[in-house]
Amino acid sequence: MHEPRDPAELLKAAAEDDHTAWDQLESRFGSRMWAVARACGLNETDAADAVQGAWLRLLENLHTIREPSGVGAWLATTTRREALLIIRKEPPGFPSFDVVHDPDPATAVLEADGRHLLWKSVSAMHEPCRTLLQLVATDMGSQQVAMRLGMPVGTVGPTRIRCLEKLRTLLSLQETVQ
Amino acid sequence: MINDEYFLAALRLAAGSDPIPGHVSAAARDAFGLRVSQAVTAPPADCATPRGVRGGDGPGMIRFVAAGLTFDLEVTVGDGLIDVAGQVFPHPGEGSHVDVRTPHLTLTRRLARSGQFAVTGLPPGWLSVVCHRPGFAPVQTRWVRIRP
Repeated sequence: MHEPRDPAELLKAAAEDDHTAWDQLESRFGSRMWAVARACGLNETDAADAVQGAWLRLLENLHTIREPSGVGAWLATTTRREALLIIRKEPPGFPSFDVVHDPDPATAVLEADGRHLLWKSVSAMHEPCRTLLQLVATDMGSQQVAMRLGMPVGTVGPTRIRCLEKLRTLLSLQETVQ
Repeated sequence: MINDEYFLAALRLAAGSDPIPGHVSAAARDAFGLRVSQAVTAPPADCATPRGVRGGDGPGMIRFVAAGLTFDLEVTVGDGLIDVAGQVFPHPGEGSHVDVRTPHLTLTRRLARSGQFAVTGLPPGWLSVVCHRPGFAPVQTRWVRIRP
């Protein structure tokens, strides 16, 4: 078994015409990019455009990425930027294209390799937040969540907001500790 | 509310719901075939006429400039397809041609003496034009998204 190649190595190989390396970048970061585009509220067609746009930007910048080891974060941030341009209906050829890193911890959860940390944090929460967020993660509707948790449907939305707020605080605390 | 949406997306990602569709992954992998060796990328530049693309009531102009070449692209979206009338100036020289590309279709056109070219019936989505000129590096416009 070969050790998986690190992102900087994959980027370098892709810049040297290694199609396999490009495919591995897609395997590594494609899902996260999709989640970023969907998190911006895009439908499937527009999310597909945002993700494709980010890959095309990478092609344009294959030899000029400043921090090759951070190519995953670059792709996620670029996806988000393309998504926001689509949402704002900016005309084609919109001039500025500076990729800026977003300091929001919620963005960091998606854009860094923080998913395991996120899931661990959810698992450590008290009820009903733990189960509610796990159910929400599987796209279960409010009515079904209410039935599973034995709570009135009307309270699912406000409870969800409170649980997300708690999760945000938990993650911020963990970030401070690290 | 975008922060909450990010959290929910992260949770869905961690839970494996809303996975990336296969065709999106496949398109990303195929995009590698769109690289142009040694190409100079032309960014958008200011244009005397209003920028933008309009459907039905008239074309919009997008300008790109790099390596001494200017690309003016007049893009029209109608009936769900894209028409491009373009000009490269100054003329890049005898034997030059342009590739008008989308991720799934590339159309090649010789340049007229005026540097003008035209293509019709492209699928909506991402679009780029590459100018190939003998003895020089190709120049490609930055990819732009064209949708009705």
